[in-house]
Amino acid sequence: MRTIGALVAAGAALALVPLLTLPAFYESFLYLVFFWIVLATSWNILSGYSGYFSFGHGAFFGVGMYTTATLTTKFDFGFLWTLPICGAVAAVLGVSLGAIVFRAGRMRGELFALLTLAVSYVLATVILNTPIDGGPGVALSAVAVPAIGPSAPSTFYLLALAAAVITLAIAYQVQRAPLGRGLFAIHDDEDVAEVLGVPTYRYKLAALALSCALAGVAGGIHALFINYVTVGETFSIVVPLSVVLMSVLGGTRHWLGPAIGAAIITALLYAFTASDYAVAGRAAVGLILVVVILFMPQGVMGHLVRWAGRRDVPPPPQSLRSEAPIQARNGSIVLAVQGVSKAFAGVQALAGVGLEVRGGEILGLVGPNGSGKSTLINLVSGHYRADAGRIQFGGVTVEKLAAHRIARLGVARTYQIPRPFRHLTVLENVMLPAMFGHAGLPRLAAEREARRWLEFTGLAGKAAALPAELNLHQRKFLELARALAARPQLLLLDEVLSGLTPSEIDGAIALVREIRAQGASIVFVEHLMRAVMELADRIVVLSYGRVIAAGSPAEVMGRGEVVEAYLGKARA
Amino acid sequence: MKLHRLVIGAMALAAATAFAQQPVRIGGTLALTGPLAATGANHKVAGEIYVEELNKRGGLLGRKVEWVLKDDQSKPDLARTLYEQLITVDKVDLLIGPYATANIVAAVGVAQRYNKIIFHHTAGVPGLLKYDMQFPTGGLPADPEVSLPELVFDAVAHAPKPPKTVAIVTSKFPSVHFISVGARDVAKKRGLQEVTWLEWDFPNRDYGPIAARVKEANADFLFIGAIGVEGLLLLDALKKIDYTPPMHFHMFPAGGPMAKSPVAQHALALTTFEQHPPFTDNPVAAAFVKTYNERAAKAGLADTSVDLQAAASYATWQTLEAAVKGANSIDDKAMAAWLKKNHVDTIMGQLRWETANNYMPGARLYKVKQLQDGKWLVVWPPQFAAPGAKLLAP
Amino acid sequence: MPSAALLGQSLLSGIFIGALYGLLGLGLSLAWGLLGQINLAHFALAFLGAYLTYQLSAAGMDPLVTLVVIVPAFFLFGAALHWVLARFAVSAFNSLLVTFGLTVVIEAAIQWIWSADFRRLESHYADVRYRLGALYIPLPELITLALAIVLSLALWAALRHTDLGKAMRAAAEDASMAQAFGVNARALALLLSGISAALAGVAGLCIALSYTLAPSQIYAWVGVVFAVVMLGGLGNALGPLIAGFVIGVSEAITMALTAPSWAPLVSFSLLIALLVLRPEKL
Repeated sequence: MRTIGALVAAGAALALVPLLTLPAFYESFLYLVFFWIVLATSWNILSGYSGYFSFGHGAFFGVGMYTTATLTTKFDFGFLWTLPICGAVAAVLGVSLGAIVFRAGRMRGELFALLTLAVSYVLATVILNTPIDGGPGVALSAVAVPAIGPSAPSTFYLLALAAAVITLAIAYQVQRAPLGRGLFAIHDDEDVAEVLGVPTYRYKLAALALSCALAGVAGGIHALFINYVTVGETFSIVVPLSVVLMSVLGGTRHWLGPAIGAAIITALLYAFTASDYAVAGRAAVGLILVVVILFMPQGVMGHLVRWAGRRDVPPPPQSLRSEAPIQARNGSIVLAVQGVSKAFAGVQALAGVGLEVRGGEILGLVGPNGSGKSTLINLVSGHYRADAGRIQFGGVTVEKLAAHRIARLGVARTYQIPRPFRHLTVLENVMLPAMFGHAGLPRLAAEREARRWLEFTGLAGKAAALPAELNLHQRKFLELARALAARPQLLLLDEVLSGLTPSEIDGAIALVREIRAQGASIVFVEHLMRAVMELADRIVVLSYGRVIAAGSPAEVMGRGEVVEAYLGKARA
Repeated sequence: MKLHRLVIGAMALAAATAFAQQPVRIGGTLALTGPLAATGANHKVAGEIYVEELNKRGGLLGRKVEWVLKDDQSKPDLARTLYEQLITVDKVDLLIGPYATANIVAAVGVAQRYNKIIFHHTAGVPGLLKYDMQFPTGGLPADPEVSLPELVFDAVAHAPKPPKTVAIVTSKFPSVHFISVGARDVAKKRGLQEVTWLEWDFPNRDYGPIAARVKEANADFLFIGAIGVEGLLLLDALKKIDYTPPMHFHMFPAGGPMAKSPVAQHALALTTFEQHPPFTDNPVAAAFVKTYNERAAKAGLADTSVDLQAAASYATWQTLEAAVKGANSIDDKAMAAWLKKNHVDTIMGQLRWETANNYMPGARLYKVKQLQDGKWLVVWPPQFAAPGAKLLAP
Repeated sequence: MPSAALLGQSLLSGIFIGALYGLLGLGLSLAWGLLGQINLAHFALAFLGAYLTYQLSAAGMDPLVTLVVIVPAFFLFGAALHWVLARFAVSAFNSLLVTFGLTVVIEAAIQWIWSADFRRLESHYADVRYRLGALYIPLPELITLALAIVLSLALWAALRHTDLGKAMRAAAEDASMAQAFGVNARALALLLSGISAALAGVAGLCIALSYTLAPSQIYAWVGVVFAVVMLGGLGNALGPLIAGFVIGVSEAITMALTAPSWAPLVSFSLLIALLVLRPEKL
């Protein structure tokens, strides 16, 4: 909140600049700085935070330009009234696009970039060939500039200042809110974020809507500033390219980054306008950009934050055990899988699989490689959708639900090869499911919860570290802590022991027992027979996508077909 | 007593001299980098020559002239802010306009807010400029979409074989497009049959299909609304499919590349000035041509001849000088008032600003030139034609 | 209704320009897909190559022969560029920023040396054309098409079937793993970056043969070639060529049938439809 206060105060102070009656040039120059701050920051809310690089920011900016141009010249709208309309039109366009595109789930980064670029071209061509513009451009010289400031440049200055303050405030708020955390998680690993409970589709649309709306408003203001709107200028490749450059230069992971990049690049533009050195000046600008990014790869903000010292993770509060334990539902059926099938490009991974998990039990899921164990975990957690069959969790039918909804209901899983969020600290990694999973805790409570589970898994000392600094054992336990922080009722462990040393394995087995003691039901996929026999209450054996045995460990492992499935037919 | 008066007199003289030492600062921007830089360079050379000679002749009102020039990088928003900088920070005395329509519109807007007079040469869309103290000096008529096509069709009507069918193809560059649209009406009114109408996006990369359609239409006269090298690229594409248009006109081409290219032989274009008689019969023009050729070569420009761009620039400076001298001051309103009531004889012809938006009716100053064996020669109207030159057509 | 000759010629025109898009995109795609290097300067480099072709030809060299000079020089430049990017461990999107700066520098250098005036390469190649029935095949465009196809196929085959190519792809997927198997990832990366830049030089020759040059035209190609690269799949040597054909032909046919200014609408709507409906195909 303090930051927002500081932002508004700075804005208010800057709003007094027109009273200084400085030469109008400074107001226009600052207008341009604020204008680019709005464009770059709005771009960053979607693309920087979530990693979905858009190459089409110019489209939404252009929509704003032409909305204002058309409404003021053809329909006699008052200029100020057009601004919210610009934002709305741009947001509608963006969300319509996003609603279709994001449905496909995770999209390869460059495809989204391509799509947004294509949208720019389509929009530009439509505007160029219809009466909206048609070719000659739209002149706004007859449109009255509202008298907000003592002069026209002052008015634009104040409008852009207001837009910049609002945009920065939004970017700041988003970064701190669950929306921002979700976006950062999506940036690193969207599938995992979804499975941990982040409503990825909704969040991406929200970020896109905000991003487009702000760009649209900036466009509306700019239309009157330049007075004469043409398709060539509006939709040139310069706009989308510039916002990317400004954000990368300033730092894409910080709300203030793009603003800094915008200020630097706009100032550079003006540093070299003297005619004698025009060409040399351009070369100098290029050289400066190259040098800066080579030596400051995380952008200016990224490095400032680092120099200011790694964000201090405050010491943990005392009593951690005071939290309520995971709810236990002994005896009742927690998970019911019936007749589930899944095929991938011709390979039938699962065929008619059925099993049950009861409250408080540890179910071992075993079978040779390729038998479908991981696929089953993926289906139950919602990572994939089953081709046929039913999955019911706690009585709720889940096979058609989005993964984040399943997570909310109380299902959590670990990944065989750990998939932590690279750019988030260990603590932040664990906080995410605490906020988005079954527990759905607010931030401070989520932090406490996360620390509790870090201590539980022995990672408390690494809370401020990045996952890259952990060894395999620690990363596996991070997976575990992450799964637990959601306070799940059903925990799916996918080969959590593989790659561990014998002593580490003993520790892990003890941990799993502790977790069950806390009340969760556990399905764990494992190859290590020793662990299976020790831990599992019951075992289900898969082979070639089918269940070939189910029962107590001793009973199942003695069966002929099970041995055969693992070792092959005995030769006489 | 006498000493007292002498001292005061001396002080006054010193003050006057000191004041007179301050140069008259004329501010403007040009596209020195960016897509419009090629033509911006022409205007820079022309302006520098003029200012130099003006200073040799004693400057303006006894003061030296200084041209404060900035690079607007072909961007209208930069042009706008730079003009504000020129007026409010650099505090120049007078304004001279930038290159190309969008930038000029931006600059005129600023001039209007500060009630400053502004001279400009190349705004292509008169309808966009509604300020009474903006003075165009390029000779463009008030209704280019009618007058210019009329001029062109007049010229070809006097060709050995006047055309009966016309193909009008154009880029959608704003200042070109609307004239092409006007050309359609003019053609119809004159009884010419339009066999094809094509518009392409600016910039366009692929002229193949357009060329194929032009070839198929096979009109007597090909009217190309082109700027820069678009027309040349179309001619290239036509040659590649074995087609030479019988008669072809290009609206605002870059003259240099066309002159060096055999494929552009007999191209027609618009101009207000070419470096041959009768234009160079005017000694001022002849001297300018010579100096410009030298300076442009020294500046490394590929095209060193004076055509309508450089001439328009020269005319702008001539107008500025005439206005200052005529009003005997650098006061904006005084200069504007003088211009409205007088005319200025420039190397392009006589300029007047009597109408409401200061543009002249009719295309009096425009001529049609033709590329003949690597040289641009005016062929129409006859009184401006190069000695012995006629509109040639196969 | 347009004649068959018109449609046929337009189709050819689309193929020719598609080939140029593909040639321009080839180096860009390989560097992006296999090296994680988004080289915006690829376009500036191509234009520098075009200007060099122009200059050397003006000095008397046959345009095709200029490749003998340009290709090795650009190869070295490409390798040097990668060396710098690797030395500073520049990430993919940071490389966009670095190469943008480089583009501005190269563009300024071009304007400094050759001024912003238009430059045209007048060569005898532009006068030669072949006839195929009612259709014309001009030599410069044919050269471009031939170069595009040959280079794309050669690189595709090399990456697919030769040990060197396989090593490159392995190194691209997982450098440390590949190195564990004895692959010298660093050397391969330098080689690949050099090849990419050399391809820019070749594209420059083709641009010089068919177009009139001005420094600012660098940016006119960025959008459409990025689209071609992304559509064709990063790191896929045949991708840019095929995507180039798709975009070039769809634009050309549109120009033949309706107002040419609608062309980008058709090609990019097609793109959007492909992306939205069948993203897996790409």
